[in-house]
Amino acid sequence: MASLSKGSIAALIAAVVGALCLLLESSAPWLVKFPAAWVLPATDWVGAAMEWFLALIKPAARSFSALMFYPMEAANYVLSHTPWPLVICATTALAWTLGGVRMALMAVVGLGFVLASGYWPESMNTLALVAVSVPLALIIGGGIGILANEYPRIRQPVQAVLDIMQTVPTFAYLTPLLVLFGFGPVVGLIASAIYAAPPMARNVLLGLERVEPEIKEAAIMAGGTRLQQLFQCEIPSAGQQIMVGVNQCLMAALSMVIIAAVIGGFDDIGWEVLLTMRKAQFGQSLLAGLVIVIFAILIDRMSGTLTQDRRDKHDVRVAWGILALGVLVSAAFWGSVQQPGNYGLFNPVADSVDRGLSSFTSANAEFLTALKNNVLFYVLLPMRIGLDQAVLPFTWGFSWTPMMSLGLFAAGAAAGVVFALRGQMALGVMLLIAAGMLETGISQLPWPFVLVGAGALAWVAGGRGLAILTVVLLGTILLSGLWERALLSLYLSGAAVFACAVMGGAIGLASAVSPGVWRVVRPICDMLQTIPLFVFLIPVLMVFQIGEFSAFLAIIAYAIVPMIRYTRHGLVSTPEEMIEAATASGATKWQMLKDIRAPYAAPSILLGLNQTILYAFAMLVIAALIGTTGLGQSIYLALGQADVGLGISAGAAMAILALIADRMVQGFAEERRKALGL
Amino acid sequence: MSGSETPAITCRNVWQVFGNNADSALKEALSRHETPEAAAQELRGKGLIPAVQDASFDVKEGELFVIMGLSGSGKSTLIRCISHLLHATGGEIRIDGENIVEASPKRLIELRRKKLGMVFQHFGLFPHMTVAENVAYPLRVQGVKKKQRLAKAQEVIELVGLGGREKNFPRELSGGQRQRVGIARSLVADCSVWFLDEPFSALDPLIRRQLQDEFLEIQAKLRTTIVFITHDINEALKLADRIAIMRDGKVVQIGTPADIVLRPVDDYVREFSKDVAKGQHAHVSSVMQPGEHHVYGADDPGLRQDMTLDAALARCMELYEPVPVRTDDGKLVGVVNPADLAAALQVEQG
Repeated sequence: MASLSKGSIAALIAAVVGALCLLLESSAPWLVKFPAAWVLPATDWVGAAMEWFLALIKPAARSFSALMFYPMEAANYVLSHTPWPLVICATTALAWTLGGVRMALMAVVGLGFVLASGYWPESMNTLALVAVSVPLALIIGGGIGILANEYPRIRQPVQAVLDIMQTVPTFAYLTPLLVLFGFGPVVGLIASAIYAAPPMARNVLLGLERVEPEIKEAAIMAGGTRLQQLFQCEIPSAGQQIMVGVNQCLMAALSMVIIAAVIGGFDDIGWEVLLTMRKAQFGQSLLAGLVIVIFAILIDRMSGTLTQDRRDKHDVRVAWGILALGVLVSAAFWGSVQQPGNYGLFNPVADSVDRGLSSFTSANAEFLTALKNNVLFYVLLPMRIGLDQAVLPFTWGFSWTPMMSLGLFAAGAAAGVVFALRGQMALGVMLLIAAGMLETGISQLPWPFVLVGAGALAWVAGGRGLAILTVVLLGTILLSGLWERALLSLYLSGAAVFACAVMGGAIGLASAVSPGVWRVVRPICDMLQTIPLFVFLIPVLMVFQIGEFSAFLAIIAYAIVPMIRYTRHGLVSTPEEMIEAATASGATKWQMLKDIRAPYAAPSILLGLNQTILYAFAMLVIAALIGTTGLGQSIYLALGQADVGLGISAGAAMAILALIADRMVQGFAEERRKALGL
Repeated sequence: MSGSETPAITCRNVWQVFGNNADSALKEALSRHETPEAAAQELRGKGLIPAVQDASFDVKEGELFVIMGLSGSGKSTLIRCISHLLHATGGEIRIDGENIVEASPKRLIELRRKKLGMVFQHFGLFPHMTVAENVAYPLRVQGVKKKQRLAKAQEVIELVGLGGREKNFPRELSGGQRQRVGIARSLVADCSVWFLDEPFSALDPLIRRQLQDEFLEIQAKLRTTIVFITHDINEALKLADRIAIMRDGKVVQIGTPADIVLRPVDDYVREFSKDVAKGQHAHVSSVMQPGEHHVYGADDPGLRQDMTLDAALARCMELYEPVPVRTDDGKLVGVVNPADLAAALQVEQG
């Protein structure tokens, strides 16, 4: 028994604790349900502390808010009063300089669509917010990146803070900001600047760190002062990576501006989506969503050209020509270009989409409901509350008996013994644990089991430090009274991640095997990744209405992309030499995939899973808008009530879950990489 | 400058130790132990890395001093100490008599602008600047006007044979051309001490030989003091006035190419010179003895001090008695015993 692997020991400990909890359930109910009396009013404490702190900096914040009002008004005035032909031509001219004919065409068609949709004024409002928040984010992020590069001592803490900022859900930012800055567009502006600064900081730091040491040394030996070295040599050398930061910063700012529309007060395109969605005008909602998608794609592709290594030069005269055309058209039709909001060319289409949708849903009501209910009753609900409660005569046609529980455990144990005898002890015990979890349901797992199980898993993934961190952080959630909501969040995101892993893995595999599939999948992935989170809600809501199933689908749609990408990338990037060696050994295509490509791809696939988990958590909060329970809902409710304590605590709990999952998967990926010598 | 008396570069007991609290650990180790070996041993025991240990040598003005060693021997670290890209953990480094280990940051910038130039193994070119801008950069940081600095850059670009490439970006050049840019950039500010860190190692053998020859031509013109790093014994022997051989952070031998080839101090150095065609690198002067010999007149084989051993042996193959060695104008400077010539070539078998 002394030769048990680390994994087996961890699994055994978890299994024993789980079994004990189950056995003692009747005599010691506090083992299963954390007693309310033990809960510390941490939420209130956080609230009080935050309110004290916020009150302290409120005057400064309010004056900053007043200050930001001017550039925002200016940007807004300029964008909404510039005649649309000029805006379109200026954008097209810029697009031409950046990416030639293709980019210019994209700009014309995209903005033409926006104009025709009648959402031009709202779009300009959104753009005005982005136009002010992005420079702010670039300066803050760039400054942080440069400082972290200059002072290696603060590099580690800065990285840690950036990590945390990335995992704290976006809505959680909003509540304290709301208290600080009051209702109004400035909150959206500042939230988006805060949200968009970390990717910039990260990329600036990464770029500066990656500058070849000899380039830095050459700058020193040339006799440059530190500032000369930095601004004349290092920053320009890191240009490409910094441009990646600018691109991500733009996208993050746009995404956040749209999310911030939830708090209202500004007539922008995100608000339009939300409003139409609430009124169940899905045609209009889809139209407004498409406008957002168009902006996202335009901004992404145009700024994306800056990150390319060698850009083609495009004749600047053409750009000036396009611009001049814009001025001419604006001047010639001065009277008729003043009301860009009146077009609404697509309103009939939107209406017919609405009509078509209602007839579609009513015609297929049976099928859609069946689909929804099947997934709910046979997958989601058992995962949530366990087979013992989910199996009812009403849904499953029979009720769950203790005999069945026994049978389930017996089956789990039998399978476990088989695996254990074949030398896969850890896997066997984990099967038994899985049976237990299926029986109880994730949201009703006994808390000692969750703590010990998560701790054990963390121990296997990243050693003692990670195990302690995991237990301590989970413990704070437990004590703060957010435990049940946290488990609900864990269940929904867990279910979504599981679905993503299975489906995304399969699609990634198919894309790796057949280039034809990839040619179809790739643009869809590109598209899904550029769309702001918010827009994912529209189509699922259209078909499945408000509820957990819609949220589940929206999370999957958003979080599946990294799984597909990383799986494919890992599988196709096997070094040519290994492929040749396997071919020379006479491996078939399937053997090659199973024995060579898959093990080599494992670290990459794990990283994809990691991203998928983070994406799922991010979307979980957004999905709270259309009906989920758990932490996302708490964060959203806190926003509505300006309850800083609850907002921050729930946001922190969410970040803790994401952080722990992130560290564990990273740990496993690191281990695989080491094992492969990468 | 105080003339030829002061060496251009002086290194005295230079140490470079990597790790936490290297400064105090080195002081402690040196105070406790007599020999540098013992001190280094203690530092290693503490988990520190003594990359350069107790290096001492002088480089004369106008001398081409080559530091040679395998990768990890500390030669790149040593050159970075001398150019003060790394702050030496211990010891003294003087350039024209000035201790640069203690120089202020401001003085260092000044030194680099006026006195020091450096060429890097992987070129270290700025990817966002053209050839001309790269070369002119050391002048730009000094605030030289654009027109002036580009004119000066043009001169150096011509010197390294890159005329016509001024507007190209580094990525558009071959490896050999890139290193020419690196050389031009290090020369543009008229440095008096020139550091070259394995400048030709990343190049193909043919290009390497060509650049070595051109480098020697440039050096003949400029006569700057040079510290040149290489791991290639043939390159060292071809270029050097003197060679320092490093192993595991220590300088194990300093000497002329002939010394290294003919009188290696240990097996490590001998191993290096094993594959070298000795007769081509050692000169008659290395086996010459003082003495007079009057016998020869018409059949004097005509040995000169700077003749290689191979050439000398070919001339006195059939002679058994000591042969006179003369300068170019016929003055007798010593004698060589032909048997010594043959013996010198056999050294490696010993």
